[in-house]
Formats: sequence, structure tokens, C-alpha cells
Amino acid sequence: MTNVAEGFTPGVGNSRPDDSRRDHVPGDSSMWFFVIGDLLIFGVYFVGYMYFRGQNHELFLQSQARLNLDIGAINTVMLLTSSLFVALGTEAARAGNRAAALQRFWIALAFGAAFPLLKMFEWIPEISSGLTPGTNLFFMYYYVMTGMHLCHVALGLVIMGFVIRNLKTSTTPKISFVETGATYWHMVDVLWLVLFALLYLMR
Amino acid sequence: MAEVPKASALPAEHATSWRKNRKLDQWIAFWSVPFFFNLFGLVFVPLSWMMPPRSPSSTTPNIVDFMHSHNLLIACVILTLAYGLAPVSNACYLMQVRRMSVSPAFRYSMMIGAITGAIVGMLFPMFCFGLGAFRPGYSSGVLTMLYDFGYLAFIGSLGCFCVMWMAFGLAIILDENSILPKWLGYYTIWQYVTELMAAPVWIVKSGPFAWNGLMTFWFAMTLYVSWQIIVYVCIYRAIKNQPEAELDNASPELRPKVVELRSGTSA
Amino acid sequence: MTSLIRNPLTIVWALLTTITVVSSLIALDGGAAHQINTTVTTAVLLIAAVKTQLVIWHFMEVRRAPVWLKATTSGWVVGLFTLLLSFYFVSL
Repeated sequence: MTNVAEGFTPGVGNSRPDDSRRDHVPGDSSMWFFVIGDLLIFGVYFVGYMYFRGQNHELFLQSQARLNLDIGAINTVMLLTSSLFVALGTEAARAGNRAAALQRFWIALAFGAAFPLLKMFEWIPEISSGLTPGTNLFFMYYYVMTGMHLCHVALGLVIMGFVIRNLKTSTTPKISFVETGATYWHMVDVLWLVLFALLYLMR
Repeated sequence: MAEVPKASALPAEHATSWRKNRKLDQWIAFWSVPFFFNLFGLVFVPLSWMMPPRSPSSTTPNIVDFMHSHNLLIACVILTLAYGLAPVSNACYLMQVRRMSVSPAFRYSMMIGAITGAIVGMLFPMFCFGLGAFRPGYSSGVLTMLYDFGYLAFIGSLGCFCVMWMAFGLAIILDENSILPKWLGYYTIWQYVTELMAAPVWIVKSGPFAWNGLMTFWFAMTLYVSWQIIVYVCIYRAIKNQPEAELDNASPELRPKVVELRSGTSA
Repeated sequence: MTSLIRNPLTIVWALLTTITVVSSLIALDGGAAHQINTTVTTAVLLIAAVKTQLVIWHFMEVRRAPVWLKATTSGWVVGLFTLLLSFYFVSL
């Protein structure tokens, strides 16, 4: 790790040497409660999808072929990159480097905002060509799961906005708040990684 | 800031008579909930077999039979009489939300959400099934429509409850007085998401996303029931731990301290 | 800038992006998109498991978290993908 020791600004977060950060739960533990619960709830959806797919492979395969894999893949990379900058931003905030933290979070927000935008380029043509949630079970799962995920993305962007505001305007930004927001965002990323594999890639 | 006496530190006379218990109103509201839910459960399960929901793609003769059944009649009678308990039970949530540091907008949203939800989610199905039970003359086409209407209103009335639970969840998370634990706020967010999960019932009539489906009914119910029990326990604790001096109907000898709390001066 | 590139997090990201591209390519089976393919599915799901574990471990900093959190999150990854693969293979 590079910048931990240098650039320490008093009052901005807790800067501690790397080896003393063991056993650290990032952010609010109540957010972790939410994250784990959300992972479980989506987990039920994922397994349900796989179960029902197993009863009708043909239908699911044919329907899958109608999806836009390119946008799906690009969106995956968008979220991964956004997560990277959130993680880098958290690191910078912890090191007391407020300017770098802000810059990185803004970049993260930009990549994150690209996700819903690209999603529209995916959904709108699909719906226009008659592929709606009512079309068949695959598409119901597709729209419901990506829809629920999109709501999570929207909420995550709002939270990130608050984190940025906190870093910018507060005299003593709370690291715990930054970590909490970061944890939520990474969860959104994790969920998409599974969705991408289940909806777009698997045969 | 003046010392606020906890419930257990009060003079002995308060402990003796339950009628003098200042929190009686809250406790009545609180205990009305299980009473109400048990009645509700009785009506909807063994009496009318409405829950778990019947299939939306039932055949017409099945639907007609159901709408004319004796049990449905009894269910509707009970529901008509018990409906009034809905606002009473919701009052116990609102009493605690009132203590939170968040804007009153939250509890007003909860109130309106609860009202509209109860009307659409409980009253409408009651009318629909009541018509079937109390008015024997309708054609099977009309009965089928009433059946659909009733069930869709019951399970599809998610918008109102979405608002209510979202307001409740956010209020808990943003509350600085920590009346209810933060994790409960997050749990309530899931509760609201289960309402959203019910949206597909408008579209499909069979499979896991129909109103009796694995995802929209069974899974949503699992989340809802567990949440209801847990929130109930938390509300119980919140009422129990609420300092007597904070109550609106606090006894006179505690009142000077209440005034002090509000104006911020100390004894 | 170079410190950013050499940052362990960036390295993890590069790995994640690479295997994302790889798994996308695996799934691109030209005209044969309407057939069951156990190899592709297994590969794609295992890659997804690795990716989620990487994000949780490094980005979410579970690597430095208490044991209970490590156990819970790893348990989720292992449990979920085991179930997914099991349901898949049982249904064939």
C-alpha cells in the first residue's frame, strides 16, 4: 500500500498503519446486516431462476439469445471500474487525502451512472420489439431481477452523492460513512456479477 | 438536561393499578395487533381458504362455488366487525415514530399509506367476496370478475404499503434518538421490497410470479411474517423502555421535568 | 499515477476485467447459442464465483475483517454457487 503514511490531515478519518487494521468491519455494522440479508434474498431469486430454468431449458436458451450480451458485458466492466474507484477513494479518504478521495469518488459516480444509461439502450429496444415481462418466464425473471438490481444501483448512486457531499463540505468527514456507502456499492457490483453469468452467459 | 426517571424507578403506586398505567393506551393498541392478526388469520385460512391464494387460473365452476360458499360468508362477517381494529394496531407504530428525531412528514406518510393500504388491501376484497357470499343472484361472469378484483386488490395493493414501509424504514435509519434499532430499519426496507416483488401478479396468471406463486407469494410471505414478528418485539421493547416523563399523558408530578426537557433548562 | 497502477486494488480490477472478457468470449458460441453446454455453464459460473469472491475479499475489505464476516461472505459464495451448479446438473 502506498499513500497511507504521507499526507495525513488531522481530523479527516483515522489513519493507521496497515497491520493494525485487522478485524476491522468497514463502516456501520447495520449496513453489513443489510448487505448479507440482501445477498441472501437475491440468492433465493438466483436459485429459483436456476430451478425453473431446469424445467424448461429450451425456452430459456431461446430467450437468452435475444439479449444484448455486448451491453451486458460493458455494463459489468462499468460497475467493476466504478467499484475500483470507490475502493481507491475509500483508501484515500482514510489516508487523509481529501482531494484525491473526492476525485476518485466522482470518477466512480460517473462510471456508476453509465450503468442505468446503458441499461436503457438495452431495455428500450427489447421492449419495443415485444419482449416484455409477460412474454415468458425467462423474461419475467430477467426484468424482475435486473429491475430490482437497477433500483439498488439508483439508491447506490444517491448514497455516493451523499458521500461526495460529506467529503466536500464537512470539516471532519466521517470515514465510517464513506466505508458504509462503499460497502453498499460493492454489494451492488457483486449482485450484478452473478446476474451477468446467470442471464447472459450460462447455457 | 434533567434526569429522566425510567419506568422502573417510579413510585410504588404507579406499579400497583394497571388502570393508572400511563402507557395503557399504547399497550391496548399493542395487544390489539396479535388479536387482530389472529382473527385475520382465522378468517383467511381455515374459514375461507383464501390463503394460500387460490389459483388465478381457476376454472369458472370452481370460482362460482368458492364465491357461494358458506365459509366465505362467515369470513366476511368477521372481517366486517374486525376491520375497525386496523387503525388501532397501526397506532402503536405511529406512537413510537413520533418519538423519533425525523420530520413529521414520515409519520404522515405512514398514516396515509396505512389508510389507503387497508382500504384497498382489506376493504375491497371484503366487498368483492362479500358480494359473492351475500348476494346469490350474480352470473358466473360477474363472479369471476369479483374474484379477480378481490384477489388482485388483496395482493396487488402494494403501492400504498410501499409508501408506508419505506417511510417507516427511513425514519428508523435516520432517527438520531435510536428509538428502534438501525438494523430494523434495513429489515423494513426489505419488507417494502416484498411489496414491489408483488408487482408481476398483474401480468401473469400462473407460475412463480402469479399471485399464488413461489416468488411473489411464498417468498414474500416468509419475509413479511418474520419481519412482522420481529418489528413487533422491537415495538414492545420501545414501549417498555419509553421514559414515563415523555408521554403525552405523563402524570403531573413528572410534568415539570417534561417542560424542562422541552425547553432545555436543567433542574 | 504509477502508484495507482501498482496499487493492489488496480491489479485486482485488471484481473476481474480480464476474466469478465474471457467468460464473455466463452459464452459467444456463434450460431450454437440455442444448445445446452455444460462446459460453458460450469466455466462461466465458476468464473463468476471467483469474481464475487475477489470483490468481496479485496474491494469490500473482508480480507481484513473479523472471522465471522469472512465465514459468512465466503459461505454465501460457496453455498450459492454450489446450489446453482447442483440445480443445473440435476435438471439435465
